[in-house]
Amino acid sequence: MADEEEDPTFEEENGEIGGGAEGGQGKRKRLLSKELRCMMYGFGDDQNPYTESVDILEDLVIEFITEMTHKAMSIGRQGRVQVEDIVFLIRKDPRKFARVKDLLTMNEELKRARKAFDEANYGS
Amino acid sequence: MDIACESPTEKGGETGESDETAAAPGGPGVTDTDGITEETDGDADGELKEASAEEGELKSQDISDLTAVEREDSSLLTPAAKKLKIDTKEKKEKKQKVDEDEIQKMQILVSSFSEEQLNRYEMYRRSAFPKAAIKRLIQSITGTSVSQNVVIAMSGISKVFVGEVVEEALDVCEKWGEMPPLQPKHMREAVRRLKSKGQIPNSKHKKIIFF
Repeated sequence: MADEEEDPTFEEENGEIGGGAEGGQGKRKRLLSKELRCMMYGFGDDQNPYTESVDILEDLVIEFITEMTHKAMSIGRQGRVQVEDIVFLIRKDPRKFARVKDLLTMNEELKRARKAFDEANYGS
Repeated sequence: MDIACESPTEKGGETGESDETAAAPGGPGVTDTDGITEETDGDADGELKEASAEEGELKSQDISDLTAVEREDSSLLTPAAKKLKIDTKEKKEKKQKVDEDEIQKMQILVSSFSEEQLNRYEMYRRSAFPKAAIKRLIQSITGTSVSQNVVIAMSGISKVFVGEVVEEALDVCEKWGEMPPLQPKHMREAVRRLKSKGQIPNSKHKKIIFF
């Protein structure tokens, strides 16, 4: 009877550790599989990465975003996620910090360029 | 060989602007913004640290000087502020020149890529997370709506995160004498290593400092 008690927990552990059919997180739909495959190839993996690896990465990314969101909600303006909070959280990591700054700068530039273009069109 | 990934550029529901900022498109044809992307993604870590250290040096006196400097009102500038203005101008010129060098070097590099390398480089630049999915995910966590900039920032950081994990996993794979494609054991070992470096945020475990 001790075996019977052990088995369910053993199975539960297996489901959490490995990829399995459920992906280790219950039957959540895979949100980012396609983009992650392209990303993995771009970063150096094979052209056809293993599905289990993609699943692991997807879980990691979702956990990362969840953690960042929770942390951002707890600093600055409570209950809201603002860009300043994200930049603050990422300040110690040089790569991510520089990337965020560049993305936001580029976005501003593009907005300005688009606005100028639209105004030029409108004027003429 | 089957290609697992399709070019993720034209997806329905995504506006053109979001694609541009997230994916930073463009292959070998390099523009100014491309140069910026390349500088950060490359091995310019030392440069990055220097840049952030430089910014850290700004103190309150400098900030009030800088506001006068930005207004370009020379009558308001003290000699120290004038010197600061010349310094920042020189630094900006130096940075622009470094950027141009960087852009040129990138152009030379990309022009000498093999076809497989070009493919991979294109995937590296163009792959991006879908803004809608990320926005939905963040909003399901916060319960309130978030601005577009937040989604842009979060997608960008997540891509860098994926890059860090994949690169570490490739290191592990090479160290163990195995070949890509990456297997789950490589990924898990990579995550374990990054965790010990503190690159993976984990707020679930309460650290006991003294006992």
